[in-house]
Amino acid sequence: MNQGSAFLVLDSGECFPGVWHGGQERAGEVVFNTSHSGYEEMATDPSYFQQILMITAPMQGNYGVDASIWESRKLWISGFVCLVMQESQRERGWVDRLKEHSIPTMSEVDTRTLTLTLRERGTCWGAMVKGSDQEDARKRAKALISEAQRGPGDWVNAVSRNSVEDLKGLLSQGPKVAVLDFGCKENSLRELQSRCSALRVFPSRTPAEEVMAWGPDGVFLSNGPGDPAKVVQAAETVQALLGKKFIFGICMGHQILARALGAKTYRLKFGHRGANHPIRDELLNRVYVTSQNHGYAVDRETLPKGVRVTHINLNDGSVAGIFSESSRCLGVQFHPESRPGPHDAEALFDFFIKQIQ
Amino acid sequence: MPRAKHIQKVVILGSGPIVIGQACEFDYSGTQACKALMKEGLEVILINSNPATIMTDPELATRVYVEPLTPAYVEKVLELERPDALIPTLGGQTALNLALALDQQGVLSRLGVEMLGARPETIRAAEDRERFKEILNSVGARAPQSEMVRSFEQGLELADRFGLPLILRPNYTLGGGGGGVAYSREEYEHKLVQALRESPTNEVLVEESILGWKEFELEVMRDRAGTFVTICSIENMDPCGVHTGDSITVAPQQTLSDAEYQAMRNEARKIIEAVGVETGGANVQFAVHPETGERVVIEMNPRVSRSSALASKATGFPIAKIAALLAVGYRLDELRNDITGTTPCCYEPALDYVVTKIPRFAFEKFAGAKDILSTHMKSVGEVMGIGRTFQESLQKALLSMEADERGFHPVSFIESQLAFPNSRRLLYIAEAFRQGWSIDEVREKTQIDSWFLEQISDLVEMEKKLEQLPEFTPEILLRAKRKGFSDQSLGELKGLSFEEVRSLRRQWGIEPFFSQVDTCAGEFASSTPYYYSTYWGKAQQRQSGDRLVALLGSGPNRIGQGIEFDYSCVRSVKQFQKNGYRVAMINSNPETVSTDYDTSDELFFEPLTREHVGEVLRHIQPLGFVAQLGGQTPITLAPGLVEDGFELLGSSLDTIDLAEDRGKFIEVCRTLGFQIPQSGMAQSLEQAREISEQIGYPLICRPSYVLGGRRMEIIESLDELESYFERHGAFVSEKNPCLMDQFLDRALEVDVDLVRGSDWSVVGGVIEHIEAAGVHSGDSMGVLPPQRLKDEVGRKIEALSLELGNSLGILGFLNLQLAIRDDEIYMLEANPRSSRSVPFIAKAAGVPLVDLGVKAILGLNKTEVRPERFDWRQMEKVCVKGVVFPFKKFAEADSILGPEMKSTGESMGRGEDYAEALEKAFVSSHFILPDSGEVFLSLREKDKEELLPLARELVAMGYSLSATQGTAQLLSSQGLNCEVVKKVHEGRPHCVDRIRSGEVAFVINTTSGRTSIEASFGIRRSCVDYAVPCITESDAAEAFVLALKRKMSGKIQVSPLNLTQMS
Repeated sequence: MNQGSAFLVLDSGECFPGVWHGGQERAGEVVFNTSHSGYEEMATDPSYFQQILMITAPMQGNYGVDASIWESRKLWISGFVCLVMQESQRERGWVDRLKEHSIPTMSEVDTRTLTLTLRERGTCWGAMVKGSDQEDARKRAKALISEAQRGPGDWVNAVSRNSVEDLKGLLSQGPKVAVLDFGCKENSLRELQSRCSALRVFPSRTPAEEVMAWGPDGVFLSNGPGDPAKVVQAAETVQALLGKKFIFGICMGHQILARALGAKTYRLKFGHRGANHPIRDELLNRVYVTSQNHGYAVDRETLPKGVRVTHINLNDGSVAGIFSESSRCLGVQFHPESRPGPHDAEALFDFFIKQIQ
Repeated sequence: MPRAKHIQKVVILGSGPIVIGQACEFDYSGTQACKALMKEGLEVILINSNPATIMTDPELATRVYVEPLTPAYVEKVLELERPDALIPTLGGQTALNLALALDQQGVLSRLGVEMLGARPETIRAAEDRERFKEILNSVGARAPQSEMVRSFEQGLELADRFGLPLILRPNYTLGGGGGGVAYSREEYEHKLVQALRESPTNEVLVEESILGWKEFELEVMRDRAGTFVTICSIENMDPCGVHTGDSITVAPQQTLSDAEYQAMRNEARKIIEAVGVETGGANVQFAVHPETGERVVIEMNPRVSRSSALASKATGFPIAKIAALLAVGYRLDELRNDITGTTPCCYEPALDYVVTKIPRFAFEKFAGAKDILSTHMKSVGEVMGIGRTFQESLQKALLSMEADERGFHPVSFIESQLAFPNSRRLLYIAEAFRQGWSIDEVREKTQIDSWFLEQISDLVEMEKKLEQLPEFTPEILLRAKRKGFSDQSLGELKGLSFEEVRSLRRQWGIEPFFSQVDTCAGEFASSTPYYYSTYWGKAQQRQSGDRLVALLGSGPNRIGQGIEFDYSCVRSVKQFQKNGYRVAMINSNPETVSTDYDTSDELFFEPLTREHVGEVLRHIQPLGFVAQLGGQTPITLAPGLVEDGFELLGSSLDTIDLAEDRGKFIEVCRTLGFQIPQSGMAQSLEQAREISEQIGYPLICRPSYVLGGRRMEIIESLDELESYFERHGAFVSEKNPCLMDQFLDRALEVDVDLVRGSDWSVVGGVIEHIEAAGVHSGDSMGVLPPQRLKDEVGRKIEALSLELGNSLGILGFLNLQLAIRDDEIYMLEANPRSSRSVPFIAKAAGVPLVDLGVKAILGLNKTEVRPERFDWRQMEKVCVKGVVFPFKKFAEADSILGPEMKSTGESMGRGEDYAEALEKAFVSSHFILPDSGEVFLSLREKDKEELLPLARELVAMGYSLSATQGTAQLLSSQGLNCEVVKKVHEGRPHCVDRIRSGEVAFVINTTSGRTSIEASFGIRRSCVDYAVPCITESDAAEAFVLALKRKMSGKIQVSPLNLTQMS
């Protein structure tokens, strides 16, 4: 067995001891998610690129693994941290999968204190390192963190497809939707496929002309990792598409849409990550619970005229969605494609399709 | 959509006396609702017949009616109050059915009362199996398939369609007689024939079996605008086949993937929408096939339920409170999450811990009842354990049962006890692992999901590891504590004492961290002090508790210690606070009001063990702890906690000892001039004979060290004494002698509750028992003020009681049980604590006993308290305590009353006179009061003459009489018409057939002596099965007839409780 002492070291030098299960020592932004279930969906969500994912629900791996629920083609997280990891003779699928993908994995970490620390201090960088010497761990963590921080700032580009991919829709008569891949979750594509005749998924830095050349009925901007301000090309593409085709953006897609509209985005103290965030949807006129995963948000004050804030995060009042009739676009900060999380906002896909039919 | 402005006055219906399946979780819900709506400025009218609840405290609502929960009485209240609306979703099935009846009778429309929370169509849609099935179909969900079979051929055809196994339920047989599960074709055919024959209508409901499927429950809420949230998912460790109330359950669910869970959540949303739940809480129960993942809906409740209480405590989300606010028009997004104080209520709680509920049973109370769990609920209470992991929470829950401080401990079992669910199966599973069973083998037997079994097996592995270890190391000790092992159990494994393990632990800095239940897994700051202990975190120091008092609760409900003690605890919190103290509540019962986060200043949801309570006290450093309010549990803990250096507030340990040590207590009583029933101890039949000559018959025999009055019998003759030793001699030895007490036959029994301060005392009241001595005080009906007790005797009792309080040095509560015969006062028992009768007395007499008790504990003096203000004799009404029994749930149990308590709940009848109070008490205790018909009398010899006038009266009232030969002859000789009915052994049709066929309106059956009790068992059992009133005691029979007479007057009056006299 590969088990031994280890530390999750924050950039402040704070050390959280735990048990090492496998994978390579790595650094990443340390974030927590409060969903009760869905570890495999989260780990395969490209939005977690460069992030060490800590789950507040204490017992992980209980129900094994299932490749059919993957949200992309690989595990994107930089590390997995929890209180207790399922690792019995009968069922050890999840921890094995993390190992197979060299994802550093720790359990027996005081996740409650870590959550409170992140909540108080805000999201920060950290590294997962093996060993029982705290000083040594700090040193190595520091090096890992600065190395990781030196990487390119546009994380979207790192996770986006390199080339165009065509997907069939399930409807022979349905609309065609162009998808800008910022780190798109599979379920967004599934939701679109079930309502469309064809999808074409474009890399994040595709120029507008190329998108338009395909002749889509609507444009979908996917979720994705990191700071939207660093994703420059995509915002330009979207700006050029505005008004031409109806655009629907989710999460990063929503933030880029807002930036294309001229608004600013800002970094949230510790983000929203979980499956229980309440939203007031003034477009569909209902209140529902959503799946969320973002570290940045759209600054309400900077939104131009003609853009309505139609979705509000009821926990903190932040902007959770915008709609513009004139610019023909809708962006939502949360995840109507869920996985994991409640399916209550699914109707937004229908809304989008209605706009482009 | 803020509050509906046209609603100014709301009626809330309670759930009545505590019964199995409907217990103090509805006190929790009603209390939360009252508090929330009162805060909204509404006029709140509460109707509930149960005096032991917090919700019936007069301060909780605008007006409280302690009246029977029947359409007639509630109609009267509605006429008097003319409310705008009625909320039927907070008082369990009782309230729902009652509201439905009022609607059907047109009362609600006549009086213009709107039903809030659930409309009649909604209730019917959820209740009516056929309608519900249609609804499930319409949303793409499904129920287990079933069909009514009327012939053998039809049955065979159906088996082809459904496949095996199948459940057979013959129609119109009670207790599922003749039914069962068929696993093979052959078995099915055999059972089908039998079941068709067994059913009087030759109909059998054949149902697809979901036995062994995984069971889940979702607690959901919805508001008027359609916003839907799941508050909590609950997974049953026991698979389908065990009632969810009897299952060990875990929250949140642990073994479903997100996809599976969300599919279930979606289905729940569609169902409650289709059923038409407009606002409020609901729960939906699902079964999931362990291999195929196929899912069926078991049932849904369009109301707050037992699981809602559990879900509220598990998550911190106050479901009942929010349900009440939604009912009056609010939306979820308009209401604030109390716990965080900043976020709204339209969210779903995130848990960073695991919660386990374990039910508590009372099979030992019901001789003959089989300890086998089924789809009929049998548990009387429950505990909840909170831990960071399942193992920690499971072991904490097990310790909360107050059964054994070792938690999992060695037991012996036989294989069938694994296969058939029972109250101790959790221990048997662990034992099976100890004996080397594999997880697959245990799974095969129990059908429990392997995930749970692994967790238990791992605990046993840990035990083994610890046993083999030469000595503890800090690492292994910490690991063990994180798995929830108690210091006691660890000591047991290593041959160390509890104290030794504890000091080792502290020496190594292994101390619990008190984590917060914050509804959001730490995402938001929360200032609500609702805590649980865990060893998965670093202990933190806090400031010592300035003017902080720790209050020990009463743990799981059980027969003999229930909601009454929660009443005392909750009421006392207010009083401590009024006197400038802060209160930290410690309790383990999720059903109660005391474990609501806003009842006390701080809540510690912890097992009531010396270890766990001690750790809390060490952490919060209160001025002291209070052990008088939570029943016997805290009294038992007090010596250990005092030994550990904590300050006991109120009566000292010496005082408690003086009252509880039989020898010392008798000494004190003798000095004061009380009579004490004569007693002796016999180590053999020889000695017993000698003692019986001194004491005389009748006498009570019981082995010392009996649990809950088992093997306690009233002995009337030498023959019976010999028979007793023949049967129970094995339990009598030199070390464990047989206790023999003089039995005060025909004596009048009374309960006295008093409070004594440093220089003052107040007697709360003297409750006269309706049944004569011999029936447990918790099982006998009682009346305040006394009706038969001579006034001068009553005053003498009071004076003597006060003197006893002085002699014992009581500071706080004292409960006394006395018997009076020939004007002599006998002291039976003293309890140096608040008692079962305290809430009844407080509400009947209007004396705020709990408030006074707190003042006594806090040392307030006479000038501060002004005790002269309180005089229970000033009460204007007569109040009768009615009693409710669970015999129906235990098919093999005898309903005869005796020295062992069997009742689960009580009611209160308030009237202008004794007769009216009696009538209401009987009605509230679910007695049917028949207006006419046949009364079957089966009387023991000595009652025959005595009850003659009663028989005469019954005839005069228009009832006909029937009796067996002897009694019938006597009645006939007195000129009373009486039909002769055969005894059971005389051939058929006999008296039991007669009761079963519905010919008998009610039964008076008095009996004593083992042989006659056994011979008449069938009479009482058939009465229980067919809901025929059966009175087993002569004084009770007189009371019953008095109530019948009052009922014939047809007068129905109601009145609200008076505000408790100010204190």
